Amino acid sequence: MAIEYRKNLALFRDVVLVEEAEPLLEWLQKKPAGRVDLADCTHLHAANLQVLMAARASVKAWPKEPCFADWLRAALLRPH
Amino acid sequence: MTPLLEQFLSEARDFLQGIGEKLMQLEKAPADAELMTELFRFVHTLKGNSGLFDFPEMTRVLHAGEDLMDAVRQGRVAYSRELADRLLDAMDFVGMLCDEIEQTGAIGSACAADSARLGAALRQLIGTVVTGTPQAVPSPAAQPIPAALPPLESLPEAARMAAFRLAHAGKPLHWLTYTPDEGCFFSGDDPFFQARQTPGIVWGGVVAREAWPKLLELDAYRCILDFHLLSSASRADLDEYYRYMPEQIVCVTFPALALVQPQGDPNGGPVYEDFVVEALDTLGRGDSGSLAHAARTMLELSNPDLWLSSALRWLLLLIELEPDNRTAQGIVIESLRNLDAIDWNAATSLAPSVEGAPEVIADIGLSPEEQAALAALVATQRAILDMPIETAWQMGRVRAVASTLAGCLRSSRREGEIPGLEAATAAALEDAMAAPLMDWLDHHFGTAPVAETSAATTSTAAEAAPATMLPPEDTKSAGEGEGEVKFGRRAEDAFSGPKSLKVDQAKIDLLMNLIGEIVVAKNALPYLAGRAETVFGVRELSREIKAQYAVINRIAEEMQDAIMQVRMMPVSFVFQRFPRLVRDISRKLGKEVNLVLEGEETEADKNIIESLGDPLVHIVRNSLDHGFELPEVRRAAGKPAEGSLTIRATQESDRVVIEIQDDGKGIDPEVVKRKAYEKGLIDETALERLSNQDAVNLVFVAGFSMAEVVSDLSGRGVGMDVVRTAIEKVNGAIALDSEKGRGTRIRLSLPLSMAVTNVMIIESDGQIFGLPMDSVVETVRVARADIRTIKRSMATVLRGRIVPLKSLNKLLGLATPPIANDQDELAVLVVRLGEESVGLLVDDFRETVDIILKPMTGVLAGLGCYSGSALMGDGSVLMVLNVKELM
Repeated sequence: MAIEYRKNLALFRDVVLVEEAEPLLEWLQKKPAGRVDLADCTHLHAANLQVLMAARASVKAWPKEPCFADWLRAALLRPH
Repeated sequence: MTPLLEQFLSEARDFLQGIGEKLMQLEKAPADAELMTELFRFVHTLKGNSGLFDFPEMTRVLHAGEDLMDAVRQGRVAYSRELADRLLDAMDFVGMLCDEIEQTGAIGSACAADSARLGAALRQLIGTVVTGTPQAVPSPAAQPIPAALPPLESLPEAARMAAFRLAHAGKPLHWLTYTPDEGCFFSGDDPFFQARQTPGIVWGGVVAREAWPKLLELDAYRCILDFHLLSSASRADLDEYYRYMPEQIVCVTFPALALVQPQGDPNGGPVYEDFVVEALDTLGRGDSGSLAHAARTMLELSNPDLWLSSALRWLLLLIELEPDNRTAQGIVIESLRNLDAIDWNAATSLAPSVEGAPEVIADIGLSPEEQAALAALVATQRAILDMPIETAWQMGRVRAVASTLAGCLRSSRREGEIPGLEAATAAALEDAMAAPLMDWLDHHFGTAPVAETSAATTSTAAEAAPATMLPPEDTKSAGEGEGEVKFGRRAEDAFSGPKSLKVDQAKIDLLMNLIGEIVVAKNALPYLAGRAETVFGVRELSREIKAQYAVINRIAEEMQDAIMQVRMMPVSFVFQRFPRLVRDISRKLGKEVNLVLEGEETEADKNIIESLGDPLVHIVRNSLDHGFELPEVRRAAGKPAEGSLTIRATQESDRVVIEIQDDGKGIDPEVVKRKAYEKGLIDETALERLSNQDAVNLVFVAGFSMAEVVSDLSGRGVGMDVVRTAIEKVNGAIALDSEKGRGTRIRLSLPLSMAVTNVMIIESDGQIFGLPMDSVVETVRVARADIRTIKRSMATVLRGRIVPLKSLNKLLGLATPPIANDQDELAVLVVRLGEESVGLLVDDFRETVDIILKPMTGVLAGLGCYSGSALMGDGSVLMVLNVKELM
C-alpha cells in the first residue's frame, strides 16, 4: 500500500496508483477532517488527485519535489 | 522494416483497393447487404491488423470507419454518398499513412490531428455523441490565433514571466487544454502523469470539469479533471506527445505580450497618477534607463504583493526584453491609472506586438545554433550561385540551390515565401543564369556580406524584376495547394504504386518456359558459329557470332536467375503451421513438447517449398505420436518431462536440407523387424540378416506401420512411405537415423530449384541421353579384362569395392553391345542408386549441360524409364533417363 492510514492522517509514499483512489475516498468520507501527508509522495494517479480535490483535503506536508508540489498546490489550494 | 510490417503494408494496400471497389459498387447498389458485409469485413480486418503496430493514427480512423460500417450494416445508419465520400477520404488518408510508414518507418506526429478529424467526421455520421467534436480539433493548417486569449491571468506571475522570457528566447508558446476521457482510468491512463510529462511544460494546473459532487456521491473512477498547460515545446513535439489522444487536446498559440498582466492587491485603488504621468513622460523621451530606475525605486518602496509592484515588475521585464516596444511599456504604465486588467486584444495595444511579432515568429523554433546553420547554408548557396554557368547541365546547380532554400524556408517556418522562390527559380532556369535566384536571395536573406560589383547587381536586378513581380497569382494557387490536406488524393493524381506485386503463378511459369526457350535458342548460336566457319568458311562471322553469343548468354543467365529469385520462398511458409500443430497434437496426446524452429529464412523454389508441406506434417505427427514418450515415462528414463522437437532448415550448396530431430524414444530396430515380418514385408532370412540401420529404414517401406492401434493421427501404414515418395518426386532424398531411447533424426535434402537440371550427356548406340548430374558418382574407363561375370551379371572392382555393371543398351532393349575405345576400355558411368552404386556401360561420355526438363506428357507419360525431355541448342531432343526406374 502506498498510502498508510493513521488516526487522522493519510501518509502517501512514492507513487500512489489508481487502485488506491477508492479506499482513499472511503477514508475521507469517514474522516472529513482527515489530513494528508504528501512529503514522501512522488506521484499520485489522477484518480487520487481528483478525490483529494473533491474532498478539499487539508494537506499537512507538501511533496519534496518542487514541480510536483506546485502542481498539487495549484490544484488543492485553489478556492472552490 | 520487419517482414510483418512489410506484409501488413502490402495487405493494407489490397484492402484499401478492395474497400474502394466495394464502395464504388455500393454506389450503384446501396441496398446490397452482402456487399456491405464484405466492406465491413475489409475495414474490420484492416483495423485489426493495424492494431498490431504502434499506429494509433491509423487505427483510430479505421476504428471509426469500422463502427460506421457496422452501424450501416445493422441498418442504424443509411448508406449515403456523403458516407462513401468520407470513408474514401479516410481510406486515402490511411493509404497516405501507409506511404509514410513505408518511406520513414513511422507516422509523423502531424497526422494525429487529421486522424482525429477524419475519425470524428466518420463518427458524426453514426450520430453518436462524440467526445471532442471535430471543431474542437482544428487541423493545424487552419489553426488561427484565437480571438479569445487563454485564461493566462490565472497563472502565477512567476510562471508567466518565465514563459515571457522563453518566448523572447525564441521558443513557441502553446496553451493546451487537455480534457481526458471520462472513462480513461479504466483504460489504464493516468492523465495527471501524462500532463506532468508534457514536453516543455512551463506551468500546469488542474481544474474540475464540473462542480464537485458531494463526497459521498463522488465516483472516484470517473475522470472529471481538466488540465491546463503552458508549454514552450513546438507544436510538432506536442502533437507527437499527445498522439494517442489528439481529440482530447486543444492547443492554441498566443502572443507573448498577452502574458503581461499585472496582478495583486489594489491597496485602496488607483493612486499612482503622479508616477504614471512622470513615467509616461520619461518613456516619451525614450529614456529607458531613468524609467527603469524610477520603476525599481518605486518597487523597492512598495509591498511586493501589491498590484502596483506586479505592474512594475512587468514594466522592468519589458524594458529589459523589449526596450524598443514603448507602446507596450506605455500600456503597462497606463494600467496603473485605474488598475484595470490590460486588454492586449484591443487593436491599439496589440498593434505594436504584431509589429514586433514578425521577428519572433520568423525565428520561431530557431535556436542560435540553428540560425548560424541557416546563415551558413545561405552563404553556401550564394557561393554556388556565384559560380559561372557555362553549359546547360550546370543549371542543375540552380535547381539544387532552389530546393535547399525551400528547405531552409520550411524549417524556419517561412513557407509563405516558397512561391516567390519557385518563381525566381523558374526565371533563373528560363534565362539559364543564376541571377534571378541570387536576387531573390538578396531580398529574403539580406544582401551578401561581400559587396558585389555594382554593375553585375544592377543588370541582374533589372532582369530579375519581372520575375519577382510575377508570382502573386502563382503564390495563391500554390499556397492553397499546400494548405490543402495532402491525403486528398484522387484517382487523377499521380499514383505511387505498391512495391510488391501479387502475380498469378501461371504467369511466372510462362516466364520460366520462355526463358527456357531463350536458353535453347541461344544455345543454337555456337552451332551456327560452327557452321559459319566449317560450311561457309567465314571465320570472321563465326567469331562475331560467338561474341554475340557471349552477351546473350550472360543476359539469359541473369534473367534466368532473376526469374528463379521470383519463385524463391522462405521455408517459414511451411514452418509457420507447426507451432499450432505441435501444440494441439501434444495437448491431445498429453505430451509436453517444445518446438524449436531454425533457419526459417532459408529459401527454395516455390514448388519445392510447397511439396515439403505434407511430408513435414507427416513426419512431425509421427514424431509426436510415436517418438515422444509421456511426461512420466520421460521422467522415469531420466529425461526432462518436456520433449524437444527441432525443425531446422539449412542450405548446403544447391540443396536445402531440413532436419527434424526429436529426443523421444527412438526406433527400436528389433520391433521394426518383427512388425515388418508380421506384415509379411520381409522374410525370415531378412529378419536375421538385416542390420539395425537397414531395419530402421524399413519404416519407409509401403504398408509398414509402427502403431499398435490405428488412431486418427497415424498408424495406417501410409506415413513414411508416402513421405519418401513425395520427397523423391521433387528429386529429394530422405534419410533417417535413430538411436533407441535417445531420439530420431530425419534429414530431408531437396534441390533449391527444380527449374534447371544439370545433366550429363552420354552416348549409346549412336543416340544421346541425359542423366541427372546428382545421381552421377563418377565416370571411369574400365578395361574389358577387368570386367568379371558373376553368374549372369557383370561386375568390376573399383577402389576395392565391387560395382555391378549393367549395359545401358540392354536396359533400353537395344541389341547392340557397348563400344569400347582404342585401348579396349569400356565407358562406365557410375550412378548412385539409393545407397548403392551401379555402373552403366555406355559408348562415350559427353559434356554436362543445364537444361529445362520437361516432363513426358500424353502417351509418353507412361514411359517410366525417362524422367523427361529437353530441347538442345541444335534443335535435337535430349531424353533424360530416370535411373531408378531403369534398373
